[in-house]
Amino acid sequence: MNDDAKKPIIVLEKVSKFFGSFRALKDIDLAVNRRERIVVCGPSGSGKSTMIRCINRLEEHDSGRIMVDGVELTGDTKDIDAVRREVGMVFQSFNLFPHLSVIDNLMLAPRLVRNLPKPERRERAMHFLERVRIPEQADKWPSQLSGGQQQRVAIARALCMNPEIMLFDEPTSALDPEMISEVLDVMVDLAGEGMTMIVVTHEMGFARSVADKIVFMDAGEIVESAAPGPFFENPTNERTKLFLSQILSH
Amino acid sequence: MSFDVHLIIDSIPRMLEGLGLTLALLILSTIIGLVLAVGVLLMRISGRWFLAWPAMVYIYIFRGTPILVQIFIIYHGMPQFEFVRESILWPIFRDAFGCCVLALSLNAGAYVSEILRGGVLGVDQGLLEAGKALGLSTRQRFVYITTPIVIRLALPAYSNDFISMLKATALASTVTLMDMTGVARTIVAKTFAPYEIFIGAAIIYLVMTWFIQKAFGLFERHMSRYVKKET
Amino acid sequence: MSVVVGWLDEYFWGTVVVLKVFGLALIMAVIFGLIGSAAKLSKIRIARALANAYTIVFRGTPELLVILIIYFGSAVTITGIAQSFDPDIQFVDIPPLWAGALAIALVVGAYMTETFRGAFLGVDHGQIEAARALGISNFKTFFYVRVPQMWRLALPNFGNHMLSVMKDTALISVIGLEEILFVAEMATTVTLKPFTMYLVVALIYLAITTVITLAVAGLEKYANRHLESAR
Repeated sequence: MNDDAKKPIIVLEKVSKFFGSFRALKDIDLAVNRRERIVVCGPSGSGKSTMIRCINRLEEHDSGRIMVDGVELTGDTKDIDAVRREVGMVFQSFNLFPHLSVIDNLMLAPRLVRNLPKPERRERAMHFLERVRIPEQADKWPSQLSGGQQQRVAIARALCMNPEIMLFDEPTSALDPEMISEVLDVMVDLAGEGMTMIVVTHEMGFARSVADKIVFMDAGEIVESAAPGPFFENPTNERTKLFLSQILSH
Repeated sequence: MSFDVHLIIDSIPRMLEGLGLTLALLILSTIIGLVLAVGVLLMRISGRWFLAWPAMVYIYIFRGTPILVQIFIIYHGMPQFEFVRESILWPIFRDAFGCCVLALSLNAGAYVSEILRGGVLGVDQGLLEAGKALGLSTRQRFVYITTPIVIRLALPAYSNDFISMLKATALASTVTLMDMTGVARTIVAKTFAPYEIFIGAAIIYLVMTWFIQKAFGLFERHMSRYVKKET
Repeated sequence: MSVVVGWLDEYFWGTVVVLKVFGLALIMAVIFGLIGSAAKLSKIRIARALANAYTIVFRGTPELLVILIIYFGSAVTITGIAQSFDPDIQFVDIPPLWAGALAIALVVGAYMTETFRGAFLGVDHGQIEAARALGISNFKTFFYVRVPQMWRLALPNFGNHMLSVMKDTALISVIGLEEILFVAEMATTVTLKPFTMYLVVALIYLAITTVITLAVAGLEKYANRHLESAR
């Protein structure tokens, strides 16, 4: 793995993706530096989820290049596995394994992918459960937890693999309003510790306070990309202005 | 017409002699059928046409024809061919028990693989994506995520199929085997008391069915212990 | 294969018999299923108890055994009655076609009871309330609101039950019904080619089950057409 701290850790170069004849991503160019926090926003169907799912190869891009920490994403499974070990993902619908307890959910991948011995797995799992502030739920079934708690478990599960990068695909969109802040708080902590993060979200408050850069996508393209200040105060593109007026009027 | 209750009570012990054969048929064909079903399932969902098509044809044939016909083809029909009579498998084809186990196993393999496939389709895609994102390999995802969930999802349908298997063992009596139904038919031929004897046999089957359902019920509850109860 | 040609006539008429039994048994099974499910869902304790006994008994007893009980049992009974009038009578039976169809109908009807019951429960209760609010009687609500909705939910499993009825017809050959399996048995004694003869039987059944499967798939599409456009 490339250790040069100056070069971007994620690079998307002219990335395009088709679903049949529908072009979901159009010539995406994106560079993410280490420790950078990127928020991706945009209307439904703009390609935001597709883009970040290409980064850990849950979707395959059709043209262009994607480099993650020096490794180019191609059909080569070894490269894909290497990337997935370093990139953690949190899903909108949590996707916790229902047949495993909370702590078993956390320990599964470290056991199978990193071959960590049991005491270390357990210690690591409890450490991250404490980080997300629900250590007492360790032995419960996911179905016994609230939505906010389940999502925090999902974050801990991804963190147990000690990833370099964390991807969040609309992490709070499926939560009842009163549970959104408990998840956002965990994400703010994570950002504060220097984790490289790409977050697809509609939570503009979070974006304003945490993001280094906000990327606005529409119809498969990156329309505008700027630091929060300029992005919210002086959007340059008409489509950005339209989106902001719709989303900020509540 | 008289209804002789004593006859029922007297004949039940004799029919229980057939129980051994019934159970042997049931258990053997269940085990072989299960192994076969997993293999066929993997072929069916492999995505490769040269594996999936033979699997689909096999399932189509064995689900589309009566078990009795399948038994007859194997037991009566196979000996028609010289290459069968001279092969190493001949002891199986010559013997009624072997033929019945073969037919029931092939049948089970087809039905159970479809039941398992239904379970596989029921596994939430998101869970597999989470597995991928965590770096789990295809094999690891199948073993640690898909399989436990498939077992839970397939259990109700499988328990029904298991009971159907039990009932299918009665067909062995048509090729001279002395399972419970075979014994019953023999006794009826001598005593001309079809009601008492056959009802006695039915009672035994019903008791077995009751036990099987209770056992599966317990297993289902165990597998579902993590599922949220609907309030 | 040329040896089959001489028997085409018999196979044809045998197939006609199979279809006759299929039609008879299916109609009776649906009737049993509707009555059974209505009874299970009713408020009358005795009706529920009787329906429960019916499903437990006939889902737990091998179809072959039911056929034997009904055929030989009724034969013994009727012969006994006939002999009290005329002692010279040796044997009177219900025609195997009717005995067999009734037996199959009783067994599959028990499974249909469960399928219909589940489907009735799946009907949106709001519809029933709307019908009541409009003043439609219970009886009319059942036929004009509940049953049409229930069919759509019951279709997939109902298709499987139809296939069961079709395949169970082979069992009636055991009591001498001259359907295709019986024909094959007779033919084998002449042609000495059991595999060929039974293969024809299998192919005929496969053809019929394929038609049924396609028909059910078409019916499912038709029944769900109002859902497609909702997307």
